[in-house]
Amino acid sequence: MDLTADFFSLFELPKTFRLNVSELDSRFRDVQAQVHPDRFAHASESERRMSMQWATRANEAYQTLKKPLERARYLLELAGHDIQAESNTAMPLDFLVEQMEWREAVMEARIGGDHHELERLYLRLRGDMDAHYAAIGELLDDSHDYAQATDQVRRLMFLDKLLHEIDDALASLDD
Amino acid sequence: MAITLSDKAATHVANFLTKRGKGLGLRLGVRTSGCSGMAYKLEFVDEVNEDDVIFEAKGVKVIVDAKSMPYLEGMELDFAREGLNEGFKFNNPNVKDQCGCGESFNV
Amino acid sequence: MALFQIAEPGESAAPHEHKLAIGIDLGTTNSLVATVRSGIAVCLADEQGRPLLPSVVRYHADSTTEVGYDAQRQQAVDPKNTIVSVKRFMGRGLRDIAHVESMPYDFIEAPGMVKLKTHAGIKSPVEVSAEVLKSLKARAEHALGGELVGAVITVPAYFDDAQRQATKDAARLAGLNVLRLLNEPTAAAIAYGLDNGAEGVYAVYDLGGGTFDISILKLTKGVFEVMSTGGDSALGGDDFDHRIYCWVIEQAKLQPLSPEDSRRLMMRCREAKEFLSKNPEAPIMLRVDSGEMIEVKLDVATFTNITQTLISKTMQPVKKALRDAGLRADDIKGVVMVGGSTRMPQVQKAVGDFFRQEPLTNLDPDKVVALGAATQANLLAGNKTGKDDWLLLDVIPLSLGLETMGGLTEKVIPRNSTIPTARAQEFTTYKDGQTAMAIHVVQGEREMIADCRSLARFELRGIPAMVAGAARIRVTFQVDADGLLSVSAREQTTGVESSITVKPSYGLSDDEIAGMLKDSMEHAKDDAMARALREAQVEGERMIEATEAALAEDAHLLNETEIARIKATIAKLHATIAGDNRRLINIAMDDLGFETQAFAHRRMDQSIKKVLSGRKVDDIRMGEEE
Repeated sequence: MDLTADFFSLFELPKTFRLNVSELDSRFRDVQAQVHPDRFAHASESERRMSMQWATRANEAYQTLKKPLERARYLLELAGHDIQAESNTAMPLDFLVEQMEWREAVMEARIGGDHHELERLYLRLRGDMDAHYAAIGELLDDSHDYAQATDQVRRLMFLDKLLHEIDDALASLDD
Repeated sequence: MAITLSDKAATHVANFLTKRGKGLGLRLGVRTSGCSGMAYKLEFVDEVNEDDVIFEAKGVKVIVDAKSMPYLEGMELDFAREGLNEGFKFNNPNVKDQCGCGESFNV
Repeated sequence: MALFQIAEPGESAAPHEHKLAIGIDLGTTNSLVATVRSGIAVCLADEQGRPLLPSVVRYHADSTTEVGYDAQRQQAVDPKNTIVSVKRFMGRGLRDIAHVESMPYDFIEAPGMVKLKTHAGIKSPVEVSAEVLKSLKARAEHALGGELVGAVITVPAYFDDAQRQATKDAARLAGLNVLRLLNEPTAAAIAYGLDNGAEGVYAVYDLGGGTFDISILKLTKGVFEVMSTGGDSALGGDDFDHRIYCWVIEQAKLQPLSPEDSRRLMMRCREAKEFLSKNPEAPIMLRVDSGEMIEVKLDVATFTNITQTLISKTMQPVKKALRDAGLRADDIKGVVMVGGSTRMPQVQKAVGDFFRQEPLTNLDPDKVVALGAATQANLLAGNKTGKDDWLLLDVIPLSLGLETMGGLTEKVIPRNSTIPTARAQEFTTYKDGQTAMAIHVVQGEREMIADCRSLARFELRGIPAMVAGAARIRVTFQVDADGLLSVSAREQTTGVESSITVKPSYGLSDDEIAGMLKDSMEHAKDDAMARALREAQVEGERMIEATEAALAEDAHLLNETEIARIKATIAKLHATIAGDNRRLINIAMDDLGFETQAFAHRRMDQSIKKVLSGRKVDDIRMGEEE
């Protein structure tokens, strides 16, 4: 293992989507306790530089593995499947129609200042997303169907963006 | 016992021990090192060793290892303030000479 | 005669090897210095027993300075040359500074950071802050009886890169080795958390003289993890004074005041504010130069009323920080109050109402930041402490981004990313034969470039001429543990890899620092040279010591050739340290750094493996817990 090893290896975790998050948390802290620049504040400049590289890497690895969408994308990348996030956005029509309905509902609630409705949409969307994640878990860890998983991930990227929009709408009502 | 603590030193040690929240007492000792041969040890104690001598001075448990005892006979630990600085001071009759700052000494 | 401190069991330092480290709270109104003595953090007081040092610097025509209480007493007599609240100018241009009109200074607009014209010459806020730091450094050296190995300097969590860089430059100028820039709320959390054995999610509400911070921290088993931070780096107690000032002028229907009167009235207003923390009503009286007498009474209700907007201004960042952390007010286990301004009852009430709990004020809000900084400094210097080790995971307060087409911002590193952090972005040329490219780095959350703070503009040159789109230039943004940004760029397609490190434009170069040091010292050149040589020698010795310790422990990670090479390089460094050529020492240190690079990485790898070993793999394959 070295600085260029993959994120799972850095924490000595198996390369799976289903992941014990509290185990990841505690491994991250253990690794960071070894490599963090605060441990090398009185060391030589080259050691301080090295510590910064490792701590940066550990942070990046943790942030990627902690979020399920990022983790799924990363696993696909390791398996050699490019998400083609930017260049290939052709999604099935029914999915896009559904997305439009969601957006309209969010916009309506936002304009109407309907805090309660936004909360309801938020929770419903979270439920939808959890179902997608469960599906991704099976596709990646059990059937190794990367093509299907890629499709699921791309759908989730839309939903994730939508979730942020609801979040922003809630924030703007707070202010 | 031939090792003593001044009132001020005893109060401060007790204070530090309370604030630290743990510890059995205060360890005094000497070890070979430094520019003039020997150096003092002044530490909190979490564990007592086999060859330690334990006694009480003004309500403070003082722990000294047997090997250090002869070098500390008759010593008084004081607490002093010098300008903005403050800390503990070893008034040790056994010392023949010491380095300029007194961190290291010879018997 | 040496004065001893009580060490942790088995940790008595060898004679003359105490690592003296300090924490400094460089405040808008007051500054403090603290250290750890016999295991306990204490603030160091001056000869009169006063722990606070007013952050006030007065310049005399002969270039001598007065700092602290002496300078503060003179501020109404000599307002132009007596600089107060200089922290508000750190890393700031003239147009960023509020209430310039009621300030008595001669400002000079300079690229990146405003300057002040005094009768001792033109001074940058960095130089003024350095005077405050020098005074605290002298106090600490005097109190601790030796040379300091380093200092932790606190900064508001919401300080941007320019303000942080300016603070670090000031510390270097004051001759301090900066172990870390530490965020003020995080410092307070250390002091509070370690003292109280706290676990759970806490909010730190820090309203100082000129800055406001809110940090949400998760405390678990010795880990202080900042989840989010927010604030306003131009909002603090000064603004409350200013509200009273404006109210008085309105009430007494005053004509514009002279700089001297203005400063005197501002002082009365501050006194009134402090008085109202314990009393229902405060009289404000002042005879102005014209002979006219100002006499008004301010009651708590009016004070609360005229400062209401300031308090709600602090609640916006609080809400945002909670949202960023994905939490609600009910999730917060405790709210720690920091900064002298949290003594105002209306502030405590507003915070208590929002979080629906009594805020924690059991540590002195003026001292808690300095005490936390000293505790961290002690750890960073490598001194063992009685408490178990702890780990700090802090974040960057504002997003870093790049200018893209049409004056828009593209975020590269989002706010609240745990530091240190890095992100690489790839660029290409858009014209055939293009050999240079402009990059503009900004900090802030807004979409338009113009609404963000410009950090650096630089040009990548020497790109090999290729057809448009063929060059691949990888630009890496690295934010270190101090929250400071550095940018490096590399062209990847050709064999020639050019790499540059860019320092944001407002930072001082080493030459400028050297120049300022020279200005401030007699026989400056010799002193500075001697100091630099000694520093290099100490650093070299430390490096040899560390390498030898590493060899003694982990020689098994190296083959015999590698060991031999490292030993030879150590010998070379030894030889240069004995001489007096600083350049040769630095070269020998670089060589040793190079020779031990692989070794250092292998050791790091080993220590990670060790800490992760002994865990059961069965634990890992559990269900998804999102």
